[in-house]
This record gives sequence, structure tokens and C-alpha cells, in this order.
Amino acid sequence: MSTVTLAREGLTRLSPGAWLRRLARNYVLRRFLVALAKIYVVVTLTFFIVRLMPTNPIEAYINELIDQYGFTYQEARDQAAALFGLDLDTPLWQQYLQYMGQLIRGDLGTSYRSKGTPVSAMIAKFLPWTLFSVGVSLLISFTLGILLGMVMAYRRESLLDHVLSALASILTAIPNYLVGMMILVFLGVQWKVFPITQMRGAMSPGMKPGFTWEFIKDIFYHATLPIMTYVLTTVGSWMLAMKSSTISTLGEDYVMVAKARGLPERRIVTAYVGRNASLPLFTQLAISIGFVVGGSALIEFIFVYQGIGQLLLNSINYRDYPVMQGVFLVITVAVILANFLADFVYSWLDPRIRIQ
Amino acid sequence: MTEQRLDGHLNEEYILQVEDLWVSYQAERGTVKAVCGVSFNLRAGETLAFIGESGCGKTTLGLTFIRLLPATARVERGRIWYSRGTEAVDVLAMHEQELRHFRWRECAMIFQGAQNAFNPVLRIWDQVLDTARAHGETDKKKIRQRMEELFQLVQLEPRRVLRAYPHQLSGGMRQRVLIALGLLLNPSLVILDEPTTALDILTQRSVIDVLRGLKERLQFSLILISHDLSLAAELADRVATMYAGKIVELASVWDIYYRPHHPYTVGLIRAVPTLSGDRGRLISIPGSPPDLINPPTGCPFHPRCPYTTERCQEEEPPLQAVSPTHHVACWHWEKVIAEGGERMLTKAEA
Ligand SMILES: Nc1ncnc2c1ncn2[C@@H]1O[C@H](COP(=O)(O)OP(=O)(O)O)[C@@H](O)[C@H]1O
Ligand SMILES: [Mg+2]
Repeated sequence: MSTVTLAREGLTRLSPGAWLRRLARNYVLRRFLVALAKIYVVVTLTFFIVRLMPTNPIEAYINELIDQYGFTYQEARDQAAALFGLDLDTPLWQQYLQYMGQLIRGDLGTSYRSKGTPVSAMIAKFLPWTLFSVGVSLLISFTLGILLGMVMAYRRESLLDHVLSALASILTAIPNYLVGMMILVFLGVQWKVFPITQMRGAMSPGMKPGFTWEFIKDIFYHATLPIMTYVLTTVGSWMLAMKSSTISTLGEDYVMVAKARGLPERRIVTAYVGRNASLPLFTQLAISIGFVVGGSALIEFIFVYQGIGQLLLNSINYRDYPVMQGVFLVITVAVILANFLADFVYSWLDPRIRIQ
Repeated sequence: MTEQRLDGHLNEEYILQVEDLWVSYQAERGTVKAVCGVSFNLRAGETLAFIGESGCGKTTLGLTFIRLLPATARVERGRIWYSRGTEAVDVLAMHEQELRHFRWRECAMIFQGAQNAFNPVLRIWDQVLDTARAHGETDKKKIRQRMEELFQLVQLEPRRVLRAYPHQLSGGMRQRVLIALGLLLNPSLVILDEPTTALDILTQRSVIDVLRGLKERLQFSLILISHDLSLAAELADRVATMYAGKIVELASVWDIYYRPHHPYTVGLIRAVPTLSGDRGRLISIPGSPPDLINPPTGCPFHPRCPYTTERCQEEEPPLQAVSPTHHVACWHWEKVIAEGGERMLTKAEA
């Protein structure tokens, strides 16, 4: 059609200015650039905040070396400089450029707790488990929430609706670490439903990673309790959001017209009500990814699960600043990318967004 | 029941026979009596227009025919006979599955304010396909061909429209898409609820032309619901005037416009400028529409009527045949005709 040929001609004929304008109108590209800009801003802010804090981590570390190990100031300073991989005498802006240069090459520095280990390697080891457990949880709770929310909307004012609504409100109100503790104390210790010591870690010792049934079963087994906690604490808000969204969708003219057109109920429930009602929830999904990843530290600590949250807690305990900085960076990037992805999915699901 | 039918024709001639239909809504303030004892017959191929001020129960009536009333509504009484070939089926007694097939394949209702009639996230083609599949049509090629013909009839560019999402079409286009989609399965009965409201004058004009063209080319009976009298005048064979949930006058379109018997009809006709530009004296009907929770006693129009007598306040006039083709519910219709409805006009001006 005409738009396709136009676009093809655009490759050869349009002036660079017109090309840029055309690119600027591309929704996905625009979103991607915004995501990159957000990452850049957060990285830059983290860099300067760490260095400009009244007791900046480097000073704190120097003082620690002096107090605990009897280093002289100069020795301590050299040691710190070596560990952080910085020359403390170079001006801040030069350090910044250096840091950014390293980052672009994927170099996050080295941990000083486990000397010489690159931060990126540590993150690569811990991050997949968090992504796995949080990803599976969100998938489960999102799907479950949408289904239950629709049931509540279709049966509104029934006993089932009242019970589910009350349950959802309660679940939404309890912080996730409390739910984690309750699972640990009651299901793990008191009633011994779960053998919690056996379930520690991200997988059983000696398990060989790979696409084997054994391995997949094992990682799900070990992630059961964190997943349970995440699902319990997020499903309520999905249910309530989906219920109200479904109720308002049910009042839309197009649902009435679909009935008048004699469409089967099945088709109306899925393609006309469900799909449209769940659209607004996709934006919330992005925000939720951020919250769950951010809130994973305590849960992973409670269940001794080797994810990025555990890594963050350890690095805070040991004042392993490069690791801390690296984890923050990764969480930031993960959240922003999740936002970008959700935007993208939303624009793919809702044609009205694509056009704007 | 037969004596309640308005004329003595044989059943087979009618596509729809409505007998003493009563519909009410349960509202917070009380029971809204939206349709009160409506009876009429619709001949195959005929266009019957329902006119009346907003709130007199026209949409409720239409929704009852396809059984899509909201949960707060109740059909208190009545029968709706739909002729399927030689047998007549009671629409109100249909069960879910039969109803689903009745809707759109046999009776298509095109709603008031079709602006949001389409699912915003599905292309028009997908919604066409949904409709066809729901009624067992699976041959995509045939469906596309039929739809393209219909789009041509409603003056739309078939290829572009089929590929479009609803928001890419203007209000007038969407209205015409819905009309075309309504005819996809060759229904024998079409209900059009206010097809031109919410459209600008030019678009209204084109929708009217489209409807006329369709009526000439395709065989279907049409119930046209409108408060736009010029629309009714252009399309209808017969016109029913509704007031407070009742038919107060039912006659051929010519009789309604040139020999209205009911003061309310007189008022309605004089309340709009005619398209020809001969405006006569333009009036609006004094007083406010009736409260359907506590309707007036006797004739529901009596509080606004210049012909009111004591009898009107106490006794409700039945819808009676004053000629084989003209029915009116008024005690004083003879006076109204004799004066040409003059009192209605002077009261309004006073
Ligand atoms: N869902 C509803 N609940 C309560 N009352 C309603 C509802 N829908 C319509 N009504 C009332 O029923 C009467 C008839 O409405 P309607 O059929 O929409 O009239 P029209 O189409 O002629 O404007 C009005 O008084 C209106 O207020
Ligand atoms: Mg209406």
C-alpha cells in the first residue's frame, strides 16, 4: 500500500532532517531512547551521590582501614584508590568520564570483599535467580489476578465476590516480608509443611544446570517459597484492579453491540471484555516489576535464596561499595527496561497508542 | 389476544407482532414504567418509525425486541411474535442459544450512538469475521465479498475500512460501517435507533441517503427509532407517535404529517423546521415530559394538552381505529382535526 512504498522511498529520497523527524515519530524508538536517557541519568546521579556524600564511601573505607588495621592515612588512601579502581587525585569530571568509559565496556569494577572478582561476574551469578523467581511470580499473580478479577466482576455482589474482595484487600495491605516470615514460621517451623532447610539456596548442591527435567524441577522447588510470597502479596492488587476495570468495560457500548451481534459468550468474555479490561493493567505491571525486584532483598534473605537481593544485603554488610553500586545499577536498568517492555507490549496490544 | 391486534390481517403477512407489551425499570426512586401496553404489527418489508421526545421509551422498546434490556429492567407482560417462514416464534420465550441466533441473523439492532460500537483493539475485518463466524459462516472469501458489496452500498471504501481500527474512522463512517455490518447476514428485521443523532448535518444527510438506497435494494423490514421527524418522514411507511411509554397515534406517514389527530403529534411536527424550508410556525411543546414513575392519571398527555377536559384527567383514551389505517388515543381527536390543531399552536405561543 501507499504507506509502505512511501517508507521505502524515504530511504533514498528524504533529506536527513525529514528522516530524523520520521524516526522521532516512531513510538518504539522514542520509548527506547527515553529508556536509555533514564538509565544515563540514574547512573550519573549514583556516581555523583556516592562521591559527594558527606561521609563518602571512600572516606569511610579509609577511616575503617586506619581504625581497624592501623594503616597510615596515605597507605589507607592508596589502598582505597586501588580497590575502587580510581585515582583520587584526578578531578571529579575526569573520574566520571573514566567511570562511564568503563561502564560502556561493561566493566563494573571489582569487588573488594572477594578480591579481584569482577562485579559483573557476581551479578551474572546472582541476577538470573531473582529474574527467574520474580518473573515466574509476576506471571502467576498477573494471570491469577486477571482471572479472579473477571470472576469477581461477572459475579459482583455475590458471596464469592465479597469473600474474594475482602481477601484481596487484606493481602494487598500486608508487607511482603511479613508474609515471608509467616510462611517461614508457620509452614516451615511450626507445622513443618515445607522442609525449609532443604529448600534453601537457588538449587540443590551438585545439580547440573541444563534443560533437563531434573534441573527445572529442582529450581522450581527451591524457588517455591519466594514465589509463594511474591504471588500472595501482589495478586490482591491485580484482582481489585481487574475487577474494577472489567466492570467498567462491561458497561461499554461495544460489549452490548457484541451481544446484539450474537457473538458466543466465550468470545465476548475473552476478546471483548478480558482483553480490553486488562490493557490498563500492563502499565501497572511495569511499575510492579520495579517494586518486586526492589523488595526481593528481604524475601531472599528470609528464605536464603541466592538472588540479587541477597547479594545487595551482603554487600551492604561488608561495605562492598563497587558491588553495591553495581547492584543498584542493575536494578535500575532492570526496572527501566521492564517499563520499556511493558510500554512496548501495551502499544502492541492497543492500536490506539501506536498511531499517536 | 387477536382483538388487540390493530388490524385484522393474517399473521403471515407480519414479520413482527407485538401484543400488549409492558416493560419497567427498577430504579432507586421507584418503578419506571418505560413501556406501557404497546401493541403493533409490522408488515414484511415495511418501515415503521417511532417518534417522540427523549425518554418516552423508544430505546427500551427496541432493546426488548432483541432481549438486551439491562438487568434492572423487567418485561411485565406481553408477547412479541416473530415470523420465521410460516411459523411464529415468541421472542420473549426464546432460550439463550436460540436468542443468539435470532440476534443479528434475523433481527439486527443498530444502536443509538454507534461511536463506540466497535471493539477499539480489533480491526473492522476481525469484527466482521467474528460476526459471521458466530452465525456459522466460515468462508472468508464469501464474507469479504459480501462485506465489500455492502460497504460500497454505504459509500465506504471497502479495502481501507476493513483494514482500519475503529478510531481511524470518523463518527459518520463508523455509523455506516455498523449499518453495513447489520445487513451482513441478510436479516429480515432491522432496528435502527437514532441513526443520525450525534452526527453533523452533512453526515446525517449522507446516512439518510444511504438508508434510502439500502431500503430500495435490499428486502428487510425496518423499525426506525428517532426524535428526528424529518428522518421519519423520508424513510417511513408508517409512523407511531410515542408518549410516556405508549403509542398515542399510529398512521401512514402522509396522515401523520398532513392530518395529525393527536395534539402531541401536532406539537411534535410543529416543533421542527421541515427540510423544505416551509417552517409554518415553529413551536416547542410547553410543559415538561411526564414522570414515568408517577405518570399522570387518565391521558398521560393531559397536563400539557390545550384540549384537556375532565374526562382526560380521569379516563385513559384507548388507541382506537378512526379509519382502517389511522389509530389515535385521544378523546378529542375530532376537535383536533376540525381545528387543524390550532390550539396546540396558540397555547405554545402564549
Ligand atoms: N437502565 C435504566 N434504569 C432506569 N431507568 C431507565 C433505564 N434506562 C432508561 N430508563 C428510563 O426509561 C425511560 C425510557 O427511556 P428510553 O427507552 O431510553 O427512552 P428514549 O429512547 O425514548 O429516549 C426514561 O424515563 C429513562 O429515564
Ligand atoms: Mg433512546
